Amino acid sequence: MADSAVAESSHDTHDDHAHHPTERQYWVVFVALAVLTALEVAWSYGGLEGVALVVPLVVMMVAKFLLVAGAFMHLYFDLKLINGRLFSWAFGFSLLLAVLVYFVVFAAFDRLTWWPF
Amino acid sequence: MADAAVIDTPPADSPGAADGSHGDHGGHRTSLGLSNMKLAMWLFLGSECLLFGALISTYLLSKSRFMIELLAGNPKVVSTLPEGLVEEFIEAGSVEPMWDIPFTSGSSFILLMSSLTMVLAHKAVSEDDELQTKVWLAATALLGSTFIAGQVYEFTAFFREGLSYDANLFGTAFYTLTGFHGAHVSGGILMLMSLLYMAFRGKLKSDRAETVELVGLYWHFVDVVWVLIFTIVYLIP
Repeated sequence: MADSAVAESSHDTHDDHAHHPTERQYWVVFVALAVLTALEVAWSYGGLEGVALVVPLVVMMVAKFLLVAGAFMHLYFDLKLINGRLFSWAFGFSLLLAVLVYFVVFAAFDRLTWWPF
Repeated sequence: MADAAVIDTPPADSPGAADGSHGDHGGHRTSLGLSNMKLAMWLFLGSECLLFGALISTYLLSKSRFMIELLAGNPKVVSTLPEGLVEEFIEAGSVEPMWDIPFTSGSSFILLMSSLTMVLAHKAVSEDDELQTKVWLAATALLGSTFIAGQVYEFTAFFREGLSYDANLFGTAFYTLTGFHGAHVSGGILMLMSLLYMAFRGKLKSDRAETVELVGLYWHFVDVVWVLIFTIVYLIP
């Protein structure tokens, strides 16, 4: 198995591209991004307020974020290549730390209006 | 030079070895299965996430504080803006009247389109298609420049309306956030121009595809940050 891995590594450049999206898929992602942007703008003009306005906008924003990061930045494809356990721990810990920092900052500035304490 | 942390081939039981794909274009692979250069770029982008996370948080807190003071009629805050603008802000209960959403939407669309041309440039250089590489790199740089031109126009319009960088907390936070993003886009344009220069000198072949991919990662990151800024700053009141 190790020998085959060495042999396969000699043509990794082309194999790598086999795991990236095709040109057609890139265009599909772009059209999806354009449609989501148009939907976002249309929603913001809908006269809605509060949760009805903000939640769909945030959902569409996250969808656009995932499309760019996953397809254009090849994150979805590269994640399959890297050492899953180490990356998962590092990524999970960083995300948890980032969320905690946000809570602390907003709490420090008294902006967590829904917080019971 | 050999490095203990760097291996030339991945472990036989790693995901990369299993399917023969390592996401590498000539650089050394690390034990993670990515090249050192790509890993370094991801770490750099991770630090950039912290920078823009801090800037967006600061903007939200500053705008909130500014609106509270403005609606309370604090003369120190009210006096920082022209009377007409203050009335518009108070009537709307937000800074929304300041924005030109159709114009900013156009800018967002241009930046999204530049991400498409960037991936097409990477694809072209991977396939040694010189003409397509030049066309898509030039298109990306042009679209990025158009976005920057739009931002300069927008800043000028806001300044003429009375919102200067040092007028109040809101102005400082807004210009710092969007200005930092604009500076990043400008930096990306310089990188693209360098790649275009290499392409015209015949030095951008498929063996340098990872270099284009790294610039692409930076460019898409800048695009992703704008996706967040556009919704959080412009669309959510």
